[in-house]
Amino acid sequence: MKPDIDASFFEKNLSKTLQTKELFIKGLLNFFALISIGVTVGIVYILSVEAFLFFSGGEVSILEFFSSIQWQPVIKKFGILPLLNSTLMTSLIAMLVAGPLGIFAAIYMSEYASNKFKAKVKPILEILAGIPTIVYGYFALTFITPFLKNIFGNDIVDVYNTASAGIAMGILIFPMIASMSEDALSAVPIGLKQAAYGLGATKLEVSTGIVLPAAVSGIMAAFIVGLSRAVGETMIVALAAGAGSNFTFNPFKSAETMTGYIARISGGDIGYDTVDYNSIFAIGIFLFFITLVLNIVSQKIIQRYREIYD
Amino acid sequence: MKKILVFFMILASVSAVFAGGSKESTSSEKTGAYTWILTESDDSILPGVNPLEVKGTITAAGSSTVFPLSERMIERFKNEGYSDNITLDSIGSGAGFERWAVQAESDISNASRPIKDKEVTAAQANGREPIEFRLGTDALAVVINPANDFASDVSLAELALIFSTAKKWSDVNSSWPSEDIKRFIPGTDSGTFDYFVEEVFNKDKEPILSAANTQLSEDDNILVRGVEGDKYAIGFFGYAYYAENSDKLDVLSIEGVEPSSATVDNATYPLARPVFMYSSANIMHEKPQVAAFIAYYLTYVNEEIRDVGYFPTAKEDLDKAKMNWMKAMEGKL
Repeated sequence: MKPDIDASFFEKNLSKTLQTKELFIKGLLNFFALISIGVTVGIVYILSVEAFLFFSGGEVSILEFFSSIQWQPVIKKFGILPLLNSTLMTSLIAMLVAGPLGIFAAIYMSEYASNKFKAKVKPILEILAGIPTIVYGYFALTFITPFLKNIFGNDIVDVYNTASAGIAMGILIFPMIASMSEDALSAVPIGLKQAAYGLGATKLEVSTGIVLPAAVSGIMAAFIVGLSRAVGETMIVALAAGAGSNFTFNPFKSAETMTGYIARISGGDIGYDTVDYNSIFAIGIFLFFITLVLNIVSQKIIQRYREIYD
Repeated sequence: MKKILVFFMILASVSAVFAGGSKESTSSEKTGAYTWILTESDDSILPGVNPLEVKGTITAAGSSTVFPLSERMIERFKNEGYSDNITLDSIGSGAGFERWAVQAESDISNASRPIKDKEVTAAQANGREPIEFRLGTDALAVVINPANDFASDVSLAELALIFSTAKKWSDVNSSWPSEDIKRFIPGTDSGTFDYFVEEVFNKDKEPILSAANTQLSEDDNILVRGVEGDKYAIGFFGYAYYAENSDKLDVLSIEGVEPSSATVDNATYPLARPVFMYSSANIMHEKPQVAAFIAYYLTYVNEEIRDVGYFPTAKEDLDKAKMNWMKAMEGKL
């Protein structure tokens, strides 16, 4: 951004009362911005303290936490791998659904659709993103799972399984990816496209050969935000993915995810000093760490691969 | 766009944290007078209760087994004129005692097992001396999918195998199919889980929790759905949930005895167990509406209990519960 010369000019010439008013508003906005930072710091602090209690209790070693493939805190089995594995599986399935759908929808909307059509479809897409996730959960349980059972066989597909939860999650995050990718595609300068058209390129060639590569940083960022949304999604997996930890790579088996476990264990009022209680904070901070890394990676990608045309 | 999304994600998680952490304020609205007491009573021990005159809120939480029964009694209580709020949470017996004894937030704790010593201690630390009210008897139902045509009767030893080390049905009985057993069991916070572990595994949680393909949930409807949807599934929960879903599930006989009111009454069904409600004298004094509700519950429970799917307790047990009520309210009426 260029430095704003006009602002300092006005500041000099403003009357005293207006200046104090400005200062007040500036302070107020500053305060609101600080609240969000303060809240984040508070969450990290609480998570860290409780997770520290979990590991310092002497019952769990960090090594066991990251290497054992059994998770059952009540009988002192503390391996996060089964939960992590199913979180990654549901997220991956979600991305397999949402990624292609999102990109294709975005290309269509930014390159092919008429403005009139786009104006109608975009709000509808956003409605899809506004459906409560519990509805998606029941959709997975009562529609996608029976559907999968019909295709792959009743005995192969469990009632609760990671595939149906992943697919529902994919439908949930697809509008977000489509919308963010569309923003990225639309931001590609028109001059680039016109140059390509001038050289005789077809619409398909322009879309896939010029616009898509130019917007790749934005699209990758959209993917990563979608992925971190999928990792943190709770209600769908709590309803549809299963309620028992299970270390499996079969998407048709039930397997509880990290968020699903937190939701199930904190559903009742568990004792405040029990291992179960502390374990959900250990998982919570681990989840937080995963999404934090994903967000940092997406920032880096945007910075690194951004094509600057101005 | 992204920043906004991230902000909302944080906001959502924050609000979740606050929602979980906030304690309900225990408002003790003293109504003072016991205007709800009737001169005539339908019960030989307890005074009559006029729900129209009962004022003030009541909070109850605990066992999902007791939930359908309490829900029915609350419905009847309201139909007869009680117009304030009763909250009833189905969170498991352990969680119910956590809320009642440790946090001292709820007025009534529903339980499908007797209160544990450490819970008594916790309650006493909060000035609550637990009073037990026996409500009735549940026959813990072990259920299978209707398409399961091989199992119909199991011994307790087989039951222990099915819910622990056996991976496939054929591991339990060689004539059964070589298919994975899919287990659906109540969560570890539930009284039903505790009871099952006590009866079948001699209080050792290790085998049942180590079993493969096991889904645990405090929500019995999740278990119902699981067993309903898989031919090789098995699960267990309070009899009421079987009674409500008997068109979708089959119940197993245990040691040759099928759960029914006859086998529960003559004590031949091996997995019959008492269900309870707990409160304390000081709560009943401070909030007379709680005393009113419990008296009403005990007076009419036997008219509703079979319909909900449980079994009436022996008269002397129910009378003992009523005497407990009278003792708690001594000098107050």
